[in-house]
This record gives sequence, C-alpha cells and structure tokens, in this order.
Amino acid sequence: METLLAVLTIFAQPELLLLVGAGTFAGIYIGAIPGLSVTMAVSILISFTFSWDVYPAISLMVGIFMGGVYGGSRTAILLNIPGAPSAIATAMDGYPMAQRGEAGQAIGVTTVMSFFGGLLGILVLALAAPFVAGFALTFQPRDYMLLAVLGILLVGSLSTGSLVKGIFAGALGIAIGAVGRDPLTFTERFTFDLQLMEGGISFIAVMIGMFGVSEALLQLQNVGLKAVRQKIDRIVPSFGTIRKYLPLSLQTSSIGVVIGALPGTGGDIAALMAYDHAKRVTKNPERPFGKGAMEGLVAPETANNAAVGGAFIPMMTLGIPGDAVTAIMIGALFIHGLNPGPMLMIEQPDMFWFIVGALLTANVFMLIFGLTGIRIFTKIVEMPRSVIIPLILLLSIVGAYAVNNRISDVYWMLGFGVFGYFMRHYGYPLGPVILGVILSRLLDDNWRRAIISEREDLGRFFEGIVTSPLSLVLFLAVILIFVSQTPLWRALKNRLFRKATS
Amino acid sequence: MDPDFRGDSDHHDGTSDATPGGYTEKRRPGELGFALILTATSLYLLYSAYGISGFTALSGPGAVPMATTLVMVVTAGIVALRTGRLPRVPTETLSRDILPPMVILFIGLLIVFGLLLKPLGFVPTAALFLTLAIKVLARRGWGYTLAVALGSLIVIWIVFRVVFTVLLPAGILPEAEFIQFFRGLFSGGAS
Repeated sequence: METLLAVLTIFAQPELLLLVGAGTFAGIYIGAIPGLSVTMAVSILISFTFSWDVYPAISLMVGIFMGGVYGGSRTAILLNIPGAPSAIATAMDGYPMAQRGEAGQAIGVTTVMSFFGGLLGILVLALAAPFVAGFALTFQPRDYMLLAVLGILLVGSLSTGSLVKGIFAGALGIAIGAVGRDPLTFTERFTFDLQLMEGGISFIAVMIGMFGVSEALLQLQNVGLKAVRQKIDRIVPSFGTIRKYLPLSLQTSSIGVVIGALPGTGGDIAALMAYDHAKRVTKNPERPFGKGAMEGLVAPETANNAAVGGAFIPMMTLGIPGDAVTAIMIGALFIHGLNPGPMLMIEQPDMFWFIVGALLTANVFMLIFGLTGIRIFTKIVEMPRSVIIPLILLLSIVGAYAVNNRISDVYWMLGFGVFGYFMRHYGYPLGPVILGVILSRLLDDNWRRAIISEREDLGRFFEGIVTSPLSLVLFLAVILIFVSQTPLWRALKNRLFRKATS
Repeated sequence: MDPDFRGDSDHHDGTSDATPGGYTEKRRPGELGFALILTATSLYLLYSAYGISGFTALSGPGAVPMATTLVMVVTAGIVALRTGRLPRVPTETLSRDILPPMVILFIGLLIVFGLLLKPLGFVPTAALFLTLAIKVLARRGWGYTLAVALGSLIVIWIVFRVVFTVLLPAGILPEAEFIQFFRGLFSGGAS
C-alpha cells in the first residue's frame, strides 16, 4: 500500500506532474532537433536544478530522458539523422517510409510502439529492482569493482568501433575522477601542487563540456544544413495495425529490457539487436527491410524505450550506470545527496517508487505529445542552427558556472569541450569518459576495501574471485571483452552487424 | 556499409553523442598528432601517479591512478601505432575539416565570455556573445540579429534566473529589482 502511495506521489502534487509533462515535451523536441541531444540537455539541466528539491528535479530529468529517447526517432524518420544513438536503427526503415510520403504513419506507429516498449520496461524495473537490490547486498567490494570495470569496458566496446579508444576514454575518465585530495588518506592526486586542483574537477563541468560544448562546436561546421519539410497528415495508427505488430513488439521489448539492464549497454545496442531479431523472425515482410518495412520500425523503437526501464535497474540497485545518460542521471542523484545502490533501495524505497511513478507518467505524456502537435513540431525542428548553437554554448556556460559559482569550472568546461571536440573528430567515444568519472570513486574505494580485506595479498584476492561464482562470472566477462580485441572476434562481430545494417 | 561507421558520408562528424566520427581505415589530418599528444600526456600522468604513493601498498591512494594511467599509456600507444600505419584521408585538411577558423573564433569567444562574466555581469556579457555569434553564423542584418539575440536572452534569463533560481554574476545591472518584479508574476513556480 505504501508502495502504491509512493508511486502515486506524482499525482498528489500537480507541480510534479507538470514538470514531468514539461520535461517529456522538452525531451521530445530536444531529441528531435538535430544538434541537441538528451545527454547534453540532462547534463546542462543538472546544474540548473541544483538548488531544487529532489522530487521536482528528478521529475524534470526523467521526463526529458523518456521523451528524448523517443524524440530521436523523429529526425531519424524525417531527416535520416538519428537524433540519438538509440535511433540509429530506426532510420534504416523509417526514412524510406518518409520518402514514400508515409512519415505520418511511421511516426504514429513509432509513438504507440515506444509507449508499449516503455511500459514493459518500467514494469520489469518495478518487479525486478527490489530483488536485484536484495541480491546486491551480498556483493563483495571486489564485485562492485569488477562491475564498474565491466560497465566502462562495455560502453567503450559496444557503442563504437575501436575498443582500444574506448578503453583509453574510460581510463581517462577514471583518472579525471581521481583528481584532487584522496578522500581516505587526504593525499593529493594529480593536483600538480595547484590549489585550484585540490577540490577535484567538477564532473558537471566535464559532462557539459564533452556533451554540450564539443557538440556545438562540431555543429558549427554544418550551420547551413536545412531540415527537409515533410507533409504529415494521418498520424494516429489504426487499432488493426497495432494489433498486428503486438507480438513482435513484445519480443523486442523483452530484448530491450534485458539489454538495457546489463551494465554498460543501453538503448542503442538494444535497438540494433531488436532490429536484427525482427529481421530473423519476420518471414514475409510487406516490404523488404531497409526499404520501409514496418517491422524494422517497430523493433528498434520498442526496444530502445524498453531499455530505459531496464537501464534504471543497475543504476538504482547497484549504482552502475548503463550508458552516458544514466551516468548523468546518477550524477544528478549524487548532487541531491542520494547515493544510488542497494542501500538507497532499502533506506529510501519511496525514492525508487517515485522514480517508477515518474517514468510511468512520462511514458503516458510521451504518447499524448507524440500523437499531437505535429504542426508545431515541424516548425521547431526547422529552427536555424545559427541561433541554436550560440544558445547551447550560452546555456553550457551558465550551467557550468551555476553549480559552484566558480569561473574556473567554466574554463574546465571549455577545456574539456575543446578536447571532446577533437575526440569526436578522431573517433574516440565520449560515453566511457563520463562513466569513468562517475565510477572513479566507486572503483577506487571498492578496490582498496577489497585488497585491504585480503591483507594486501593479490593471491588471496584472486582466490576470492575464483571461489565466488558471482565474482568469477564478472571477472570472466571482463576478460572476454579484452579477448574481443582479437581478430577472430572481430570477424564474428562483423558478421553480426552486417546482418543488422545491410 | 561499414559496421563501425557512424558518421555521414560527407562530414564524419559524429552527429549525435556517443557516436564519434572518424574513419576506420584512414587517418584524418592531425589524428596522429593527437594520438601522440595523448600518449605523451598519459606517460606524464603515469609518472605523476607514481609520485602519489609509489609501490608502497596495493591499497595506497596511488594504486588505482597508477593502474588507470598505465592503461592509458598502453592504449594510447596502440592507437598511435595503428594510426601511424593508416593512409591519410586525401580530401581533408586540418584548417578546413578539423579546426576551421569558425571553430577557433568560437573557442575565442567563449574564453572572452569567461573573462568578462565576473566583471561585467551575466546579462551584458551574454547579450554581447549572442549578438556576435548569431551575426557571424546567420549572416543576416543587424535588426534580425539583435531581435533574436536579445529576445532569446530575455527568455533564458527569465527561465533560469527566476524559475530555476540560478545564481549568476549580477555585474553592472540592478538585477535584484527585476527579479522581484518577475517573482511577483511567477509566484509559485518551482522554487
């Protein structure tokens, strides 16, 4: 009963409901406007909601997250530009549909299916998270350490091509997170005797720089790019259409939840795998995949929204984020004095159920906003980049400054923005950096706790890993990812992905 | 299509986050230099990490920094070696595709923004920045530029200063009076 009340908190306070709605609305458009991304929006918003209470801040960010994952599909369909990584697979069949003049239908089906996927993801989150949290209490420090390493590695290896660059990015993130005085021994680390560095580098400055400034600087190069105007008429899909794709959507949602729940893997991987799955199980599509098959639209969109709920499972129960956006959400919880992990679930179950309620509400808002307001939508998407880019930069500066009221944070942000700009150009993934920064403390603390409890003996440490089934599985997974750098594995991966993209 | 390729065919720009640009089979202008700088920096950081606590204890404050910087050195080294072996992209130059004047100009603008923020205050600095940036990017008349820049600044200021209650350097403007006025209008809000 108390659980139900906590889920319903959001309806008891119209202010929160309004914020979730506003967040979802904003998220859809942020996801849809090329050049704006959810990661960017959430990282900038963290600093703006800094002075708020926890509930309103979380409401807004959950809304933006949910709306943004869905919003990315809009530009994927209309412009062939995925607004978010999770919409990459959506473009493969969505854009061909738009070219045939069926953009309205494509958007309609996408919206309803995203709703189903999202709903399933949230249900699984609500059912599974309490159990996982209970299980997580039995985790040893070494398990947390291995989980953190695994998460960073997975983000590095799955989101992009070069794992080596991904590992570098993750290690860099951990190093950035270690800057400042060590919390246990008060030793200075990477401070170079500068007083400025003693307090560490604000991870918000790193985030906003990497995802806001670097993105805006990149966009400077396609200022002239114009959105293509699309005629959109019928958008609400018929009941028959929905019923037809319901079985497939259930399967792909399940894929989405599971993939989303794995630490380190998020909506983008889920969407690609679901797309692959749809291709295998659909025997006679009305149209071939890649040329506007409805199945090719349903699969990734259900999966990536289902992955949102899934991604909250490791985030809430273990404190291990699934991808860049959940990493930033963890940052948001930190800022509000909450420490995601099994203890949060036990000490403040209300918080968890409130987030579940907010996600549910955001999902409903997404359905409503997705099926209406298409006319305003086309107007907003056509907003010129020559205005958007300066505004993003301005917001980035304000955001970096606002958290600590320090100008030095603005410069950190600029520095990481320029650095991230080069990283993007040269194919280094940025997600692992943020994950590294967020997980640095957790990894460091748990390593030291683990090795101290083994009396500084590496042999005993490894003995502990081998004798505990959980540690062993995690350890093997970490090893497996390193092995994946060998040519044998790459051939296998190429085969898998060629199926998905051809 | 290359499975690891995530950019568009013209720009390789990594349009959305977490999908970096770059080529898998070729080296972009400056890519090798970047990889070498990363390697050198990583080496220096490893040295610095060694200085934290050396090899005294596995649980020492320097253990994890040393391990991570070692990983950085190794991976950056591998990347540099691999990059060095790739052929260059023939169609791109550093000054046009990687660091065009426009990007340098904006980095400069942002630095100036940071310098002026404290002494001048947020509103005048932002007004200057937006006007200049939009003028340069949109290449439209002053009327359009000023209208868009100041219009959006007002919206941003109201939203963030009043609704989000973000503290911004007041500088030379009598901000407190304005805020009191807007608070009256938006009483309730989220604050």
